[in-house]
Amino acid sequence: MQLQYTPEQQAFRAEVRAWMEAHVPKEPLVTLECREGYDQHVEWERTLASGNWGMVTWPEAYGGRGLDLIQWLIFEEEYFRAGGPNRANQNGIFLLGPTIMEFGTEEQKARFLTPMAKGEVIWAQAWSEPGAGSDMAAIQSKAVRDGDHYVITGQKTWSSRAAFADWGFGIFRTDPDSKRHKGLTFILFDMNSPGITRRPIRQLHGDTGFAELFFDEVRVPVENCLAGEGQGWNVAMATAGFERGLMLRSPGRFQATAKRLVELYRQHADHAAPSAREAVVQAWGAAQAYAYNTYAVAAKIMAGGKIGAEASLNKIFWSELDRSMHRTAMQLLGAAAELKRFDDGRINQWLEGYIFSLSGPIYAGSNEVQRNITAERLLGLPRVGAG
Amino acid sequence: MDFRFSEDQLTLAEGVRDYLTGTHGPEVLRRLDEAGPRDPAIWQGLVDMGLTGLLVPEEHGGLGMGLVEAALIAAECGRACLAEPLVDTAFVGVPWLLSQGQTDGLADVVAGTRKLAPAHAINPWVADGEGEALVSVDPLRQLTARPATVSDDPHLLNLGALMSAAQLVGLADAMLHQAVEYAKIRTQFGQPIGAFQGIKHQLASCSVAIEFAKPVVWRAAAAMQDGLDSAAAHVSHAKLAASDAAMLTAETAIQVHGAMGYTYEVDLHFWMKRSWALCGAWGDRAFHLKRIDEAVLGGSLPIGPEHTFA
Repeated sequence: MQLQYTPEQQAFRAEVRAWMEAHVPKEPLVTLECREGYDQHVEWERTLASGNWGMVTWPEAYGGRGLDLIQWLIFEEEYFRAGGPNRANQNGIFLLGPTIMEFGTEEQKARFLTPMAKGEVIWAQAWSEPGAGSDMAAIQSKAVRDGDHYVITGQKTWSSRAAFADWGFGIFRTDPDSKRHKGLTFILFDMNSPGITRRPIRQLHGDTGFAELFFDEVRVPVENCLAGEGQGWNVAMATAGFERGLMLRSPGRFQATAKRLVELYRQHADHAAPSAREAVVQAWGAAQAYAYNTYAVAAKIMAGGKIGAEASLNKIFWSELDRSMHRTAMQLLGAAAELKRFDDGRINQWLEGYIFSLSGPIYAGSNEVQRNITAERLLGLPRVGAG
Repeated sequence: MDFRFSEDQLTLAEGVRDYLTGTHGPEVLRRLDEAGPRDPAIWQGLVDMGLTGLLVPEEHGGLGMGLVEAALIAAECGRACLAEPLVDTAFVGVPWLLSQGQTDGLADVVAGTRKLAPAHAINPWVADGEGEALVSVDPLRQLTARPATVSDDPHLLNLGALMSAAQLVGLADAMLHQAVEYAKIRTQFGQPIGAFQGIKHQLASCSVAIEFAKPVVWRAAAAMQDGLDSAAAHVSHAKLAASDAAMLTAETAIQVHGAMGYTYEVDLHFWMKRSWALCGAWGDRAFHLKRIDEAVLGGSLPIGPEHTFA
């Protein structure tokens, strides 16, 4: 256990800090969940790419810097220290990218990874269907082989970024006689293919971040299939592992929120409940605990280990921490909490953050499913129900 | 930057775990509860493993290891609900004496002929002391009244709190394990109760609390080992996180055991009572919360993403 940074790591931190201070937008961007905000965030992805910061852990050949996970954590810490915007391409860089790195052919890596790292192609995910949310193995959308194409018919829903993104990925049933986890194939598709209709879903805050996707005989070349026909479930589980485990929510995000919460508390200390004060202190502690755990996971992976079902513990922890921190902020704001803009014109980012935080325990596999996984795979309790 | 234990550290902890699993099971706790809570044979076994000399410098006959190793072994002592005063003697008393420059008699500690019973103003008792006996809810703790003059050295308090936190994560692990094993074999409504989500989700929540308390404890041990200015805040963070995880797990574990959990027959109560005791020992929840509060809200500790290891 050696908890000091090397001089090289410190120098790297200084380099990231200087770049971020010079480039992170001074004013917060408009929310990613509308056209204007989406365009601003895509612009930011391209600014990041101009500094070669798109995805620092990827090999240089694919638009990265070939850095290790500790450097990635340092990068993320500095990113959130500087108030860096949410990543418009998170479905690509944090979920699909690592999946392609593990399962893709050399040709697929060359074709998809670099434009992803450079923010030239923004990705949507297309997991859920109306009848297959938490129970993803209930997927029905079909991809029927026709020569060197798949013909996709069906419907996906609650697809993140699908309102505006360029490409999408998901799993589809390629064996019509298959059931549950078998006969599924992981396919990448151009969102502008003929036959795809996107219908943006208005979210509870009124904006449109996710969408329904209707596939009407959409032709997708077979070379867009990842890891072979019928392998979809295994590939999707690996993607979900990246999502829950390490990449999607790096600790810097929550440490930055905890710090802002401390600042908010100081402004409202004279009318804050003692319970809110404790919640603020606990927010710092939990964000730190999440950071320590992430450093431990990173060290384990760098030593050749893997993340297994313990990714579920992470997902439960960060999503419930995020909701709790924003709930505390809403309490501290009191009567001002409902204002979308404060009386001085500033956007009430705590309100936006609180609403978004409510989706955390739902997306990336609901926390009920994560608790089942924890109980069954980590604790060894008997499985029931799931086929 | 490498947040991992070394192979040597893990091997050492596994050795202690295997030894205690083999020699210090629940039947031993029951025997101690009936026949008196200290057993020279158990103590001698710990001495023979070199544990009383773990933190004693090599020139005084010890193993010369550090607080990270000690915390890792304290967690194993918690897992086994060890009654002998190994943690207080070897992982609290010894490093405190060393910090005072007192090296006389350390050879006796290593040899197991001298036990240390560190007394501190924060505790209204002394564990394994020599004064008038006090009765703890934990039948295996031997508490005595506090002498008239005791230390109020914060370093001693931090050592006691750190090692309590380490024991608490081990205790919590053990209680979770007992509840899980019971949930696998207890059948109601035609299936093991562990198949019900009402049980699964509660136990999963304990697992989350424990797994995110552990790295806080290890980080605090490293902070004390490295002598960081911020070590006190990290020790308090560890004590708070470990206490909350242990209390949640204790209450969940008894609930999962149902009426059996309320009996003396089920082993759980030994671990539960030790947890209650250690949650309040060496600074209670309010004390440690206040110290974190002073560091975080008071501004003495740098916070934010770039200060993970401040």
